[in-house]
Amino acid sequence: MDQQTHNGAEFELDLGWMEKQGEWNTHAEPSKNGLTLADIQVGFYADTPEESRNLSGRPRGAVPRPGSMPIGNYTVRTKSEIWLENASFLYEEALQRQWSSATDIPWDTIEPLPDDVEQAQCQMATFLTEVEFVAGDVPSRWVSKTSPDFYEARNVLMAQVMDESRHMDVFRKRALVNGGGLMRATGATAGFVGGIDLARDFTEMSSRLHLSGEGAVLTIFRMGELMAYNDAEKAIYRLCAQDEARHVAFGVMHMRYMAANAPERREEIESYLDEAEAGMLTDAANPAGQLNQTSESLSIMLGGGRKYFDEGFRKLVSIRKRQLQEYQKRVTSAGFGDRFKNGRSRLGQMMANVAN
Amino acid sequence: MATAKDADRVRPALTLTKEELEVEVPEPRLNWMNQWREWGVRVRPGNKGLTLGSLNVGLYGEIPMNWPDRSRNPRGAIGVTGTPPVAIQIKDKVDLWAPCAADLYEEAIQRRWAPATDVDWKAIHPLPEDIERAICQVCTEICQYAIIDVEVITSWQHQMAYGYHEVKQFLATTTLDATRRHEAFRKRALVNGGGLGYEGPCQVSRLLLESSGGWTETVTGLILIRALFTQVMIRYLNRFAYNGVERKIYECVTQDFARLITYGVEHIKYALAHAPDKQGSILTTLAIGFRMFNRDLRDPVLREALAIVFGGGIAGARNEGMLVFYEMLDEYVQELLDACQYLRLPVSIEQLPKVFQKDQRHSAEN
Ligand SMILES: [Fe+2]
Ligand SMILES: [Fe+2]
Repeated sequence: MDQQTHNGAEFELDLGWMEKQGEWNTHAEPSKNGLTLADIQVGFYADTPEESRNLSGRPRGAVPRPGSMPIGNYTVRTKSEIWLENASFLYEEALQRQWSSATDIPWDTIEPLPDDVEQAQCQMATFLTEVEFVAGDVPSRWVSKTSPDFYEARNVLMAQVMDESRHMDVFRKRALVNGGGLMRATGATAGFVGGIDLARDFTEMSSRLHLSGEGAVLTIFRMGELMAYNDAEKAIYRLCAQDEARHVAFGVMHMRYMAANAPERREEIESYLDEAEAGMLTDAANPAGQLNQTSESLSIMLGGGRKYFDEGFRKLVSIRKRQLQEYQKRVTSAGFGDRFKNGRSRLGQMMANVAN
Repeated sequence: MATAKDADRVRPALTLTKEELEVEVPEPRLNWMNQWREWGVRVRPGNKGLTLGSLNVGLYGEIPMNWPDRSRNPRGAIGVTGTPPVAIQIKDKVDLWAPCAADLYEEAIQRRWAPATDVDWKAIHPLPEDIERAICQVCTEICQYAIIDVEVITSWQHQMAYGYHEVKQFLATTTLDATRRHEAFRKRALVNGGGLGYEGPCQVSRLLLESSGGWTETVTGLILIRALFTQVMIRYLNRFAYNGVERKIYECVTQDFARLITYGVEHIKYALAHAPDKQGSILTTLAIGFRMFNRDLRDPVLREALAIVFGGGIAGARNEGMLVFYEMLDEYVQELLDACQYLRLPVSIEQLPKVFQKDQRHSAEN
């Protein structure tokens, strides 16, 4: 029995907990990048369970308290459902590469643009500010349902949510900085069956969000030089591309882990990919897709104005091809390259139809 | 670089194939052009850059009390209609708003830090075992709080309407802050010859995770009980820090907490100002919360670990250390009462469980 008063006598201490602590004598050593998450994967603390039985939010490696209540609302308790090998690296990189849309973009370099170009920029910015945070809302919800035993993966997703928040605001800022405004939203991320919001399984969600959705956006951001009219816009696309590359990497690495560790789910994942591919060019969430609102504004940006629309559209077609090629590379890297050889993937036919 | 002047002639090269150059180009419809609710906006960067709050001009600064739209239409854009809704449940400003959210968002970004590189981990040195065990135990419990903070906030974020994007964006900074808090304290526990400790008790966490009926009520527990207490605890830990590694972590985490607490208090203030009838559920949440907190505090582990840190070892914990622990608890209670007074919430010390009352503590049941 402990005592909570001080009446001149010493407080009594229980100290029983000192016998119940986790594995001791851990000396994580900083590496050249400081003390990273990879550096603290030592001994017992590096072990991630295949099935998590942690239902109370306990940090992995702490000693469970008998009688803890199952307060965590975790549906993701199997490692292969969410795991990836390089989460520690992606998380640390995300922290090192955080940027500020208020101060890291040279907003002063924006000068008035011809009306057609400003409208195209503002339409694209409206679309992007609309869709960026689906990649915040959805991963965030999944984190709340994932066992903290897989905290490395959770951490990467939390960094992603922050990145998306910044993307949402940098495009709003772009729309309102140069004499334009927001234009018409697209409804690209509504609650459609097969949409990112509605996925019931994390890998299903990740294949739609990280691999096909953000993959397509990454290709475009990487071509940012082609659509930028000043250093501010160049910086926006470059910094967003850096962030998106991590988000896409999460998807690729997770799928690779899944392919290697849950072969029984392979066919299921192939069908997610079937669906993702079917939507790549028709999905309104791909700004280079077939929705005229976005594809026309992109064409004007790429061409250099309304009167160079044809030139811009041809560049857009080339970018679509590049999107498909990069997608193929990512899926191959994730361990699902066979589908491009065995006739399952329709990417070949899609490649022939990119101009439609 | 292409500028406005040569926008219509210079475009960087993208080498197109012969096939691509021959693509038949459809006639553009351009039906999206000249479609806006307000045009001609030119927000200029100020001395803090181009901030989120500064975008709130004209129509773009109109933030309605209700946002029934359950799509991702950006505020101020022409919205699309007729799309199936996403899972947005919080559609009233009074249920999430705090006027300071946009500023806190930008502040969070300016004050970002990375535990891996902003803490001089090499400066750590071995401590006596009782102290190391106590610090590792405290780290374990702070990690657990941070894990729960992440789960609490992320379970709400997607439910918040897009018309209030400033709050959604600010909350994204708070979940990264909490993630970093977990990371920093885990690293501290594993760097100096120790390890993680014994799992903490879960009653307050349970309250936070299970009060899924209202964000304002969740904020009440999250801020006035969990965050305010942790903030005071970290202030005391900083005062009794054993090295620069710990001090740096405490300082950075304190800044992070200050923003979260500011949002929380200002949200409750906004909610009470615009929906006075919320006072009842806020007070009830606090009353239940304090019962839960009282149960958590009956557990000796955190108390003893802190007393060892404050007292410089087990011997010191038995008198000085434990006295500092209660001084810390009193300081928390004072800050809570100050916050309640600011919020005009009728909470007095007599209503709190006895462990929180300096004069009554001796008669508290163990
Ligand atoms: Fe993004
Ligand atoms: Fe992204």
